[in-house]
Amino acid sequence: MNLFEWLEASRVALWVSESFWGYPLMISMHAIGLAILAGTLIMVNLRLLGAFSGLPTQSLSGLINMAWFGLAINLISGVSLFSSQATVFIENTPFLIKIPAILAAVTLAGVIQHKLRLHAVYRKQGEPIASSIRAMAALSILLWLMAIVSGRLTAYF
Amino acid sequence: MQAVIDWMESSTLGQWVVATEWVWPAAEIVHFLGLSLLLGSMLIVDLRLLGLFRTIQYGATHPLLRWALLGFGLNTLSGIIFLFGDPGRYEANVGFRIKAVLIMLAGLNAALFYWKIQPRIHLWPADTAPPLLVRSLALLSLLSWFSILLLGRLIPYVGTG
Repeated sequence: MNLFEWLEASRVALWVSESFWGYPLMISMHAIGLAILAGTLIMVNLRLLGAFSGLPTQSLSGLINMAWFGLAINLISGVSLFSSQATVFIENTPFLIKIPAILAAVTLAGVIQHKLRLHAVYRKQGEPIASSIRAMAALSILLWLMAIVSGRLTAYF
Repeated sequence: MQAVIDWMESSTLGQWVVATEWVWPAAEIVHFLGLSLLLGSMLIVDLRLLGLFRTIQYGATHPLLRWALLGFGLNTLSGIIFLFGDPGRYEANVGFRIKAVLIMLAGLNAALFYWKIQPRIHLWPADTAPPLLVRSLALLSLLSWFSILLLGRLIPYVGTG
């Protein structure tokens, strides 16, 4: 029995795949977490790219913390959803694109938050945002788009 | 109601959605992107009104509403595609019915906020809480948008008819 077969036979996996509420509950949590995680980070990145510049850059680290809350919801729901069909997902092409995209996007958000905290990006309100941060913000938005597109397509492959 | 459903099914749009394989998944992708924009911006706007993120001046979240509106627009368009593609299923679905009512409520709430409250918002200092009525509307807004998301996601699993 390999790791994925073992996961599928686990108690969590069986609860998700066999109980009446397991799957709907987890899939709903996953949508809510997505809205918090991707929604907040898309807004943070749009701000870094110059949208709604009245929002102080000092507030962005706190907003990224809210995204971590969404990430926690989606780690829990995502792992349980994955385990319920681990052997299927692990051979699903969109899923294999989605996970690295999310890992990269989450890492980028961590790096951006760290830089914001270090005051590397701003010294005064209104000072332009470093081009390296803007490049990361643009890449991050692309990665979230990739994650949303491939995430939805897991159901079709 | 059956006449409306028949009309939607036989309409050019309805026929196109059913006959074109890629339309449904494409609309789903747009719907998820739209909900991220809508809920992401509403989270920041409403949580600010509820007392979080105090470094943000009240008026500064205003331009976020444009992104919320963009998200809402994307979801209205993709939502119409779903409705025309399978009108009978949605009409009979409890989750969809409650969701539709909540969207109207949330829309009214947003309009009230936009026209009545937003013009006065810059008058409040960032370190004081907004009036109780405003905080209640913000909470109502968040609760309704997240319930709309929840109900939408549960449409395939809740009772039909």
